[in-house]
Amino acid sequence: MREAHLSRSSVRWFPRWTTVAAVLLFLVPAFDALAGVLVAPPVVILSDKGRTGRITVQNTATTPREVTINFAFGLPESDSLGNVSVLLQDSAITDPFSCVGWVKAFPRRLILQPNSQQVVRFVAKPPKDLANGEYWSRVVVQSKESEAAVPTSDPEQAITAKINMIMQTAIMLKYRQGDVFARLELQDTQVEDHDSTVQVMLDLKSQGTASYIGVLHCRLRDANGKLVGSDNLQLAVYRHLRRRFVFPVVGEDFVKPYQVEVEITSKGRTDIDARDMIYGNDIDYSMLVE
Amino acid sequence: MNAKQGLFRLPRILGTVAVLAALMLPSTATSQDVAVGQATATVLAVLAVSATTGLDFGNVYQGVSVTAAKDNSTTGTAAGVFTITGAASADIAVYMQMPEYLATSSGDDRMVISFNSTDAAFDTTGNVDPASFATGVADVDPYNWGAAATNVGSTGTSAIFLGGAVIPSVNQTAGAYTGDIIVTVSYIGT
Repeated sequence: MREAHLSRSSVRWFPRWTTVAAVLLFLVPAFDALAGVLVAPPVVILSDKGRTGRITVQNTATTPREVTINFAFGLPESDSLGNVSVLLQDSAITDPFSCVGWVKAFPRRLILQPNSQQVVRFVAKPPKDLANGEYWSRVVVQSKESEAAVPTSDPEQAITAKINMIMQTAIMLKYRQGDVFARLELQDTQVEDHDSTVQVMLDLKSQGTASYIGVLHCRLRDANGKLVGSDNLQLAVYRHLRRRFVFPVVGEDFVKPYQVEVEITSKGRTDIDARDMIYGNDIDYSMLVE
Repeated sequence: MNAKQGLFRLPRILGTVAVLAALMLPSTATSQDVAVGQATATVLAVLAVSATTGLDFGNVYQGVSVTAAKDNSTTGTAAGVFTITGAASADIAVYMQMPEYLATSSGDDRMVISFNSTDAAFDTTGNVDPASFATGVADVDPYNWGAAATNVGSTGTSAIFLGGAVIPSVNQTAGAYTGDIIVTVSYIGT
Protein backbone atom coordinates (compact mmCIF):
# COMPACT_ATOMS: atom_id res chain seq x y z
CA MET A 1 0.00 0.00 0.00
CA ARG A 2 2.76 2.34 0.99
CA GLU A 3 4.78 1.44 -2.09
CA ALA A 4 1.79 2.06 -4.31
CA HIS A 5 1.21 5.41 -2.66
CA LEU A 6 4.86 6.38 -3.14
CA SER A 7 4.70 5.25 -6.71
CA ARG A 8 1.62 7.33 -7.37
CA SER A 9 3.23 10.25 -5.68
CA SER A 10 6.32 9.92 -7.82
CA VAL A 11 4.29 9.80 -10.97
CA ARG A 12 2.29 12.80 -9.88
CA TRP A 13 5.42 14.82 -9.11
CA PHE A 14 7.36 13.78 -12.17
CA PRO A 15 6.02 16.48 -14.47
CA ARG A 16 6.56 19.14 -11.78
CA TRP A 17 10.15 18.10 -11.21
CA THR A 18 10.86 18.14 -14.91
CA THR A 19 9.36 21.60 -15.05
CA VAL A 20 11.49 22.73 -12.11
CA ALA A 21 14.57 21.21 -13.70
CA ALA A 22 13.82 22.92 -16.98
CA VAL A 23 13.37 26.26 -15.22
CA LEU A 24 16.64 25.77 -13.31
CA LEU A 25 18.46 24.89 -16.49
CA PHE A 26 17.12 28.08 -17.97
CA LEU A 27 17.92 30.20 -14.92
CA VAL A 28 21.40 28.94 -14.07
CA PRO A 29 23.02 30.40 -17.19
CA ALA A 30 21.12 33.64 -16.57
CA PHE A 31 22.50 33.88 -13.00
CA ASP A 32 25.91 32.79 -14.15
CA ALA A 33 26.01 35.48 -16.78
CA LEU A 34 25.98 38.03 -13.97
CA ALA A 35 28.54 36.37 -11.72
CA GLY A 36 31.63 38.28 -10.64
CA VAL A 37 35.27 37.29 -10.28
CA LEU A 38 37.33 36.31 -7.27
CA VAL A 39 40.33 38.38 -6.25
CA ALA A 40 43.01 37.21 -3.82
CA PRO A 41 44.75 38.08 -1.57
CA PRO A 42 42.71 40.82 0.16
CA VAL A 43 45.74 43.05 0.63
CA VAL A 44 48.93 43.59 -1.39
CA ILE A 45 52.12 44.70 0.31
CA LEU A 46 55.01 46.30 -1.56
CA SER A 47 58.10 47.92 -0.09
CA ASP A 48 61.40 49.49 -0.97
CA LYS A 49 62.89 46.03 -0.55
CA GLY A 50 60.38 44.35 -2.83
CA ARG A 51 58.71 46.68 -5.26
CA THR A 52 56.62 44.07 -7.01
CA GLY A 53 53.52 42.21 -5.96
CA ARG A 54 50.70 40.23 -7.44
CA ILE A 55 47.09 39.23 -7.16
CA THR A 56 45.21 36.40 -8.78
CA VAL A 57 41.92 37.05 -10.51
CA GLN A 58 39.72 34.03 -11.11
CA ASN A 59 36.61 33.70 -13.23
CA THR A 60 34.41 31.04 -11.68
CA ALA A 61 31.62 31.61 -14.17
CA THR A 62 31.07 29.65 -17.34
CA THR A 63 31.10 32.69 -19.56
CA PRO A 64 34.02 35.03 -20.33
CA ARG A 65 34.56 38.12 -18.20
CA GLU A 66 36.16 41.41 -19.11
CA VAL A 67 38.32 42.43 -16.17
CA THR A 68 39.77 45.90 -15.72
CA ILE A 69 42.32 46.91 -13.08
CA ASN A 70 42.31 50.49 -11.86
CA PHE A 71 43.68 52.39 -8.89
CA ALA A 72 41.87 54.70 -6.51
CA PHE A 73 42.44 56.23 -3.11
CA GLY A 74 40.13 55.46 -0.24
CA LEU A 75 40.66 54.89 3.46
CA PRO A 76 38.10 53.64 5.97
CA GLU A 77 36.52 56.76 7.42
CA SER A 78 33.94 57.06 10.15
CA ASP A 79 31.19 59.54 10.86
CA SER A 80 30.11 60.88 14.24
CA LEU A 81 27.94 57.79 14.82
CA GLY A 82 30.77 55.36 14.22
CA ASN A 83 29.58 54.21 10.81
CA VAL A 84 32.53 53.37 8.59
CA SER A 85 32.65 53.81 4.84
CA VAL A 86 35.24 53.90 2.10
CA LEU A 87 34.89 56.65 -0.48
CA LEU A 88 36.98 55.93 -3.52
CA GLN A 89 38.68 58.82 -5.25
CA ASP A 90 40.22 58.13 -8.65
CA SER A 91 41.29 61.63 -9.67
CA ALA A 92 42.60 64.87 -8.15
CA ILE A 93 44.13 62.93 -5.27
CA THR A 94 46.11 65.25 -3.04
CA ASP A 95 46.74 62.99 -0.06
CA PRO A 96 50.52 62.86 0.54
CA PHE A 97 50.29 59.19 1.46
CA SER A 98 48.68 58.14 -1.79
CA CYS A 99 50.67 55.85 -4.06
CA VAL A 100 48.01 55.82 -6.76
CA GLY A 101 50.20 57.77 -9.16
CA TRP A 102 53.27 55.59 -9.04
CA VAL A 103 52.04 52.01 -8.86
CA LYS A 104 51.34 50.24 -12.13
CA ALA A 105 49.43 47.04 -12.89
CA PHE A 106 50.19 44.54 -15.64
CA PRO A 107 47.94 43.74 -17.39
CA ARG A 108 45.31 46.39 -16.77
CA ARG A 109 42.67 44.84 -18.96
CA LEU A 110 42.08 41.20 -19.72
CA ILE A 111 39.49 38.74 -20.87
CA LEU A 112 39.15 35.84 -18.47
CA GLN A 113 37.85 32.68 -20.03
CA PRO A 114 35.45 30.51 -18.03
CA ASN A 115 36.99 28.79 -15.02
CA SER A 116 40.37 30.34 -15.68
CA GLN A 117 42.60 32.63 -13.67
CA GLN A 118 45.20 35.27 -14.36
CA VAL A 119 47.98 36.78 -12.30
CA VAL A 120 48.09 40.57 -12.27
CA ARG A 121 51.43 42.03 -11.23
CA PHE A 122 52.13 45.36 -9.59
CA VAL A 123 55.28 47.42 -9.81
CA ALA A 124 55.97 50.47 -7.67
CA LYS A 125 58.10 53.32 -9.00
CA PRO A 126 58.18 55.72 -6.06
CA PRO A 127 59.71 59.19 -6.18
CA LYS A 128 63.41 59.26 -5.26
CA ASP A 129 62.98 61.50 -2.26
CA LEU A 130 60.10 59.55 -0.76
CA ALA A 131 59.97 59.93 3.01
CA ASN A 132 59.76 56.88 5.24
CA GLY A 133 56.25 55.69 5.87
CA GLU A 134 53.40 53.68 4.47
CA TYR A 135 51.63 54.74 1.29
CA TRP A 136 48.23 53.50 0.20
CA SER A 137 46.08 52.80 -2.78
CA ARG A 138 43.03 50.71 -3.61
CA VAL A 139 43.25 48.21 -6.42
CA VAL A 140 39.83 48.27 -8.05
CA VAL A 141 39.08 45.08 -9.95
CA GLN A 142 36.08 45.56 -12.20
CA SER A 143 34.36 42.70 -13.94
CA LYS A 144 31.56 42.61 -16.44
CA GLU A 145 30.33 40.43 -19.22
CA SER A 146 32.86 40.42 -22.03
CA GLU A 147 30.13 39.99 -24.57
CA ALA A 148 27.23 41.97 -23.21
CA ALA A 149 23.96 41.25 -24.92
CA VAL A 150 22.93 44.12 -27.14
CA PRO A 151 19.33 44.99 -26.30
CA THR A 152 16.85 45.07 -29.12
CA SER A 153 13.60 46.92 -29.04
CA ASP A 154 10.42 44.95 -29.15
CA PRO A 155 8.14 46.34 -31.85
CA GLU A 156 5.08 45.83 -29.67
CA GLN A 157 6.56 47.35 -26.54
CA ALA A 158 8.52 50.00 -28.40
CA ILE A 159 10.78 50.82 -25.43
CA THR A 160 13.08 48.39 -23.63
CA ALA A 161 15.48 49.05 -20.78
CA LYS A 162 18.56 47.07 -19.84
CA ILE A 163 20.71 47.76 -16.80
CA ASN A 164 24.28 46.52 -16.99
CA MET A 165 25.35 45.27 -13.59
CA ILE A 166 29.05 45.97 -13.10
CA MET A 167 30.86 44.53 -10.11
CA GLN A 168 33.97 45.98 -8.47
CA THR A 169 36.11 44.67 -5.65
CA ALA A 170 38.50 47.16 -4.08
CA ILE A 171 41.44 45.70 -2.20
CA MET A 172 44.11 47.59 -0.30
CA LEU A 173 47.65 48.03 -1.63
CA LYS A 174 50.33 49.31 0.73
CA TYR A 175 53.84 50.46 -0.08
CA ARG A 176 56.27 50.63 2.82
CA GLN A 177 59.28 52.90 2.59
CA GLY A 178 62.04 52.38 5.15
CA ASP A 179 61.41 51.10 8.66
CA VAL A 180 57.83 51.62 9.72
CA PHE A 181 55.98 50.86 12.91
CA ALA A 182 52.37 50.59 14.01
CA ARG A 183 51.02 52.17 17.14
CA LEU A 184 47.45 52.79 18.21
CA GLU A 185 46.01 55.11 20.81
CA LEU A 186 42.58 54.78 22.35
CA GLN A 187 41.80 58.47 22.63
CA ASP A 188 38.32 58.41 24.05
CA THR A 189 35.67 56.01 25.25
CA GLN A 190 32.07 57.07 25.62
CA VAL A 191 29.38 54.86 27.09
CA GLU A 192 25.70 55.65 26.96
CA ASP A 193 22.87 53.52 28.21
CA HIS A 194 19.47 53.86 26.65
CA ASP A 195 16.25 52.00 27.38
CA SER A 196 17.37 48.60 26.27
CA THR A 197 20.87 49.07 24.95
CA VAL A 198 24.31 50.09 26.05
CA GLN A 199 26.25 51.93 23.38
CA VAL A 200 30.03 52.10 23.44
CA MET A 201 31.84 54.59 21.24
CA LEU A 202 35.59 54.30 20.78
CA ASP A 203 37.85 56.93 19.26
CA LEU A 204 41.03 55.43 17.89
CA LYS A 205 44.03 57.16 16.41
CA SER A 206 47.01 55.72 14.60
CA GLN A 207 50.25 57.11 16.00
CA GLY A 208 52.63 55.00 13.95
CA THR A 209 54.14 55.37 10.52
CA ALA A 210 52.16 52.39 9.27
CA SER A 211 48.49 51.56 9.53
CA TYR A 212 47.40 49.63 12.60
CA ILE A 213 45.87 46.29 11.66
CA GLY A 214 44.41 44.15 14.40
CA VAL A 215 41.40 42.81 16.19
CA LEU A 216 39.15 44.74 18.57
CA HIS A 217 37.21 42.94 21.30
CA CYS A 218 34.57 44.76 23.31
CA ARG A 219 32.74 43.20 26.24
CA LEU A 220 30.01 44.32 28.60
CA ARG A 221 29.74 42.86 32.12
CA ASP A 222 27.02 43.53 34.64
CA ALA A 223 27.44 44.37 38.32
CA ASN A 224 28.05 40.70 39.12
CA GLY A 225 30.75 40.35 36.50
CA LYS A 226 28.47 38.32 34.27
CA LEU A 227 29.15 38.69 30.57
CA VAL A 228 26.15 40.45 29.06
CA GLY A 229 27.43 41.18 25.58
CA SER A 230 30.53 40.64 23.51
CA ASP A 231 31.59 41.59 20.02
CA ASN A 232 34.76 41.76 18.04
CA LEU A 233 35.80 43.13 14.68
CA GLN A 234 38.76 43.28 12.39
CA LEU A 235 40.37 46.65 12.78
CA ALA A 236 42.29 48.84 10.35
CA VAL A 237 43.17 52.32 11.53
CA TYR A 238 44.99 54.53 9.06
CA ARG A 239 44.49 57.84 10.82
CA HIS A 240 41.47 58.36 13.00
CA LEU A 241 38.58 55.96 13.35
CA ARG A 242 35.46 55.92 15.47
CA ARG A 243 33.81 52.57 16.10
CA ARG A 244 30.56 51.85 17.85
CA PHE A 245 29.26 48.80 19.66
CA VAL A 246 25.66 48.40 20.70
CA PHE A 247 24.79 45.76 23.28
CA PRO A 248 21.15 44.92 23.95
CA VAL A 249 20.33 44.61 27.64
CA VAL A 250 17.05 43.13 28.76
CA GLY A 251 15.36 42.55 32.05
CA GLU A 252 15.78 44.11 35.45
CA ASP A 253 18.78 41.96 36.28
CA PHE A 254 21.07 44.34 34.45
CA VAL A 255 21.94 47.01 36.99
CA LYS A 256 24.75 49.43 37.50
CA PRO A 257 27.61 49.50 38.01
CA TYR A 258 28.50 47.72 34.82
CA GLN A 259 31.85 47.37 33.19
CA VAL A 260 33.00 47.88 29.60
CA GLU A 261 36.15 46.07 28.57
CA VAL A 262 38.12 46.91 25.46
CA GLU A 263 40.92 44.74 24.18
CA ILE A 264 42.85 45.58 21.03
CA THR A 265 45.67 43.53 19.62
CA SER A 266 47.46 43.30 16.32
CA LYS A 267 47.85 39.57 16.79
CA GLY A 268 45.33 37.05 15.63
CA ARG A 269 44.76 38.27 12.09
CA THR A 270 44.67 35.08 10.07
CA ASP A 271 43.49 36.73 6.88
CA ILE A 272 46.81 38.50 6.33
CA ASP A 273 50.17 36.81 5.80
CA ALA A 274 52.20 37.09 9.00
CA ARG A 275 55.16 38.28 6.94
CA ASP A 276 53.10 41.25 5.82
CA MET A 277 51.96 42.23 9.30
CA ILE A 278 53.43 45.17 11.19
CA TYR A 279 52.72 44.20 14.77
CA GLY A 280 51.87 47.10 17.02
CA ASN A 281 50.97 47.68 20.65
CA ASP A 282 48.18 45.98 22.56
CA ILE A 283 45.51 47.93 24.42
CA ASP A 284 43.62 46.66 27.44
CA TYR A 285 41.12 49.08 28.87
CA SER A 286 38.19 48.74 31.20
CA MET A 287 35.70 51.32 32.35
CA LEU A 288 33.30 51.09 35.28
CA VAL A 289 30.01 52.87 34.68
CA GLU A 290 28.13 53.73 37.86
CA MET B 1 68.53 -25.88 -19.80
CA ASN B 2 71.51 -27.94 -18.72
CA ALA B 3 73.66 -27.59 -15.60
CA LYS B 4 76.38 -25.60 -17.41
CA GLN B 5 73.96 -22.99 -18.68
CA GLY B 6 72.53 -22.65 -15.19
CA LEU B 7 75.99 -21.99 -13.75
CA PHE B 8 76.60 -19.27 -16.37
CA ARG B 9 73.33 -17.57 -15.47
CA LEU B 10 73.90 -17.67 -11.68
CA PRO B 11 76.23 -14.64 -11.52
CA ARG B 12 73.74 -12.60 -13.55
CA ILE B 13 70.91 -13.52 -11.23
CA LEU B 14 73.01 -12.75 -8.16
CA GLY B 15 74.05 -9.44 -9.70
CA THR B 16 70.46 -8.49 -10.41
CA VAL B 17 69.48 -9.34 -6.86
CA ALA B 18 72.39 -7.27 -5.53
CA VAL B 19 71.42 -4.27 -7.63
CA LEU B 20 67.81 -4.51 -6.51
CA ALA B 21 68.93 -4.79 -2.88
CA ALA B 22 71.18 -1.79 -3.30
CA LEU B 23 68.33 0.21 -4.76
CA MET B 24 66.08 -0.74 -1.90
CA LEU B 25 68.57 0.19 0.83
CA PRO B 26 68.66 3.95 0.25
CA SER B 27 64.92 3.87 0.00
CA THR B 28 64.68 2.33 3.43
CA ALA B 29 67.20 4.78 4.86
CA THR B 30 65.30 7.73 3.42
CA SER B 31 61.99 6.57 4.75
CA GLN B 32 63.49 6.50 8.22
CA ASP B 33 64.27 10.22 7.91
CA VAL B 34 60.73 11.20 7.11
CA ALA B 35 58.63 12.12 10.09
CA VAL B 36 54.90 11.78 10.00
CA GLY B 37 53.28 15.19 10.36
CA GLN B 38 49.98 16.85 9.85
CA ALA B 39 49.15 20.17 8.28
CA THR B 40 45.80 21.83 8.60
CA ALA B 41 44.45 24.95 6.98
CA THR B 42 41.16 26.72 6.78
CA VAL B 43 40.47 28.44 3.51
CA LEU B 44 38.47 31.63 3.96
CA ALA B 45 36.33 33.08 1.23
CA VAL B 46 37.69 36.11 -0.55
CA LEU B 47 35.47 39.12 -0.95
CA ALA B 48 33.43 38.98 -4.13
CA VAL B 49 30.31 40.61 -5.48
CA SER B 50 28.02 39.12 -8.08
CA ALA B 51 24.91 40.39 -9.78
CA THR B 52 22.44 37.60 -9.22
CA THR B 53 19.50 39.25 -10.93
CA GLY B 54 19.43 42.29 -13.16
CA LEU B 55 17.12 45.20 -12.40
CA ASP B 56 14.26 44.68 -14.84
CA PHE B 57 11.51 47.20 -15.61
CA GLY B 58 9.62 44.96 -17.99
CA ASN B 59 7.35 46.71 -20.44
CA VAL B 60 7.87 50.44 -20.72
CA TYR B 61 5.43 52.73 -22.51
CA GLN B 62 5.76 56.37 -23.52
CA GLY B 63 4.75 58.74 -20.76
CA VAL B 64 4.16 56.00 -18.20
CA SER B 65 6.60 55.68 -15.32
CA VAL B 66 7.52 52.17 -14.27
CA THR B 67 8.65 51.37 -10.74
CA ALA B 68 10.49 48.19 -9.84
CA ALA B 69 10.09 47.54 -6.14
CA LYS B 70 13.07 46.24 -4.21
CA ASP B 71 10.87 43.49 -2.73
CA ASN B 72 9.42 42.41 -6.09
CA SER B 73 5.98 43.58 -5.06
CA THR B 74 5.33 45.35 -8.36
CA THR B 75 3.97 43.16 -11.14
CA GLY B 76 6.02 42.66 -14.26
CA THR B 77 9.28 43.97 -12.83
CA ALA B 78 12.23 42.43 -10.99
CA ALA B 79 14.44 43.91 -8.32
CA GLY B 80 18.18 43.93 -8.90
CA VAL B 81 20.02 41.51 -6.63
CA PHE B 82 23.72 41.70 -5.84
CA THR B 83 25.25 38.94 -3.77
CA ILE B 84 28.30 39.63 -1.64
CA THR B 85 30.41 36.79 -0.30
CA GLY B 86 33.38 37.01 2.02
CA ALA B 87 34.76 36.08 5.40
CA ALA B 88 31.92 35.56 7.85
CA SER B 89 31.03 38.63 9.93
CA ALA B 90 33.71 40.78 8.29
CA ASP B 91 32.92 44.48 8.04
CA ILE B 92 32.68 45.78 4.51
CA ALA B 93 31.97 49.05 2.77
CA VAL B 94 29.59 49.26 -0.16
CA TYR B 95 29.54 51.99 -2.75
CA MET B 96 27.08 52.23 -5.62
CA GLN B 97 27.31 54.38 -8.71
CA MET B 98 23.86 54.88 -10.18
CA PRO B 99 22.98 56.17 -13.64
CA GLU B 100 20.92 59.33 -14.01
CA TYR B 101 19.51 58.19 -17.30
CA LEU B 102 19.50 55.30 -19.74
CA ALA B 103 20.52 55.98 -23.31
CA THR B 104 20.05 54.40 -26.68
CA SER B 105 23.13 52.86 -28.26
CA SER B 106 23.23 55.68 -30.80
CA GLY B 107 22.92 58.25 -28.01
CA ASP B 108 20.11 60.08 -29.77
CA ASP B 109 17.73 59.85 -26.82
CA ARG B 110 17.81 59.38 -23.08
CA MET B 111 15.34 58.12 -20.52
CA VAL B 112 15.41 59.25 -16.91
CA ILE B 113 16.01 56.61 -14.25
CA SER B 114 15.66 57.48 -10.58
CA PHE B 115 16.31 55.93 -7.21
CA ASN B 116 14.93 57.20 -3.92
CA SER B 117 16.50 57.12 -0.49
CA THR B 118 14.93 53.77 0.45
CA ASP B 119 15.33 51.92 -2.83
CA ALA B 120 17.97 49.52 -1.52
CA ALA B 121 17.98 46.89 1.20
CA PHE B 122 20.83 44.95 2.70
CA ASP B 123 20.10 41.41 3.89
CA THR B 124 22.83 39.79 5.97
CA THR B 125 21.31 36.35 6.41
CA GLY B 126 22.34 34.80 3.13
CA ASN B 127 18.83 35.15 1.72
CA VAL B 128 18.90 36.26 -1.91
CA ASP B 129 15.14 36.46 -2.45
CA PRO B 130 14.00 40.11 -2.47
CA ALA B 131 10.49 39.07 -1.49
CA SER B 132 11.74 37.46 1.71
CA PHE B 133 13.87 40.12 3.34
CA ALA B 134 15.05 38.72 6.66
CA THR B 135 17.54 40.70 8.75
CA GLY B 136 19.83 43.59 7.96
CA VAL B 137 19.10 47.15 6.92
CA ALA B 138 15.67 47.34 5.31
CA ASP B 139 15.92 50.85 3.87
CA VAL B 140 19.19 52.06 2.42
CA ASP B 141 19.85 55.07 0.26
CA PRO B 142 21.73 53.59 -2.73
CA TYR B 143 23.54 56.90 -3.16
CA ASN B 144 24.77 56.88 0.41
CA TRP B 145 25.75 53.60 1.98
CA GLY B 146 27.86 55.30 4.63
CA ALA B 147 25.04 55.40 7.14
CA ALA B 148 24.25 51.71 6.75
CA ALA B 149 26.48 49.55 8.89
CA THR B 150 27.36 46.73 6.54
CA ASN B 151 28.69 43.36 7.42
CA VAL B 152 29.07 40.24 5.33
CA GLY B 153 26.95 38.41 7.88
CA SER B 154 27.53 35.31 9.93
CA THR B 155 26.87 33.07 6.94
CA GLY B 156 29.50 34.82 4.82
CA THR B 157 26.86 35.85 2.31
CA SER B 158 24.74 38.95 2.12
CA ALA B 159 22.58 40.49 -0.56
CA ILE B 160 21.65 43.90 -1.87
CA PHE B 161 18.13 44.29 -3.19
CA LEU B 162 17.65 47.29 -5.45
CA GLY B 163 14.56 48.92 -6.83
CA GLY B 164 14.13 52.02 -8.96
CA ALA B 165 11.98 53.76 -11.53
CA VAL B 166 12.25 54.74 -15.16
CA ILE B 167 10.38 57.81 -16.33
CA PRO B 168 9.88 57.86 -20.10
CA SER B 169 8.68 61.09 -21.64
CA VAL B 170 5.53 61.26 -23.73
CA ASN B 171 7.61 61.56 -26.86
CA GLN B 172 10.29 59.08 -25.79
CA THR B 173 11.90 57.59 -28.88
CA ALA B 174 11.16 53.92 -29.30
CA GLY B 175 14.25 51.79 -28.88
CA ALA B 176 16.51 49.93 -26.52
CA TYR B 177 17.96 51.90 -23.60
CA THR B 178 20.90 50.85 -21.45
CA GLY B 179 22.78 52.13 -18.42
CA ASP B 180 25.35 50.93 -15.90
CA ILE B 181 25.04 50.31 -12.18
CA ILE B 182 28.42 49.82 -10.56
CA VAL B 183 28.66 48.18 -7.14
CA THR B 184 31.99 48.39 -5.34
CA VAL B 185 32.74 46.42 -2.19
CA SER B 186 35.81 46.49 0.00
CA TYR B 187 36.87 45.22 3.38
CA ILE B 188 37.28 47.99 5.92
CA GLY B 189 39.41 45.89 8.24
CA THR B 190 42.46 45.52 6.03
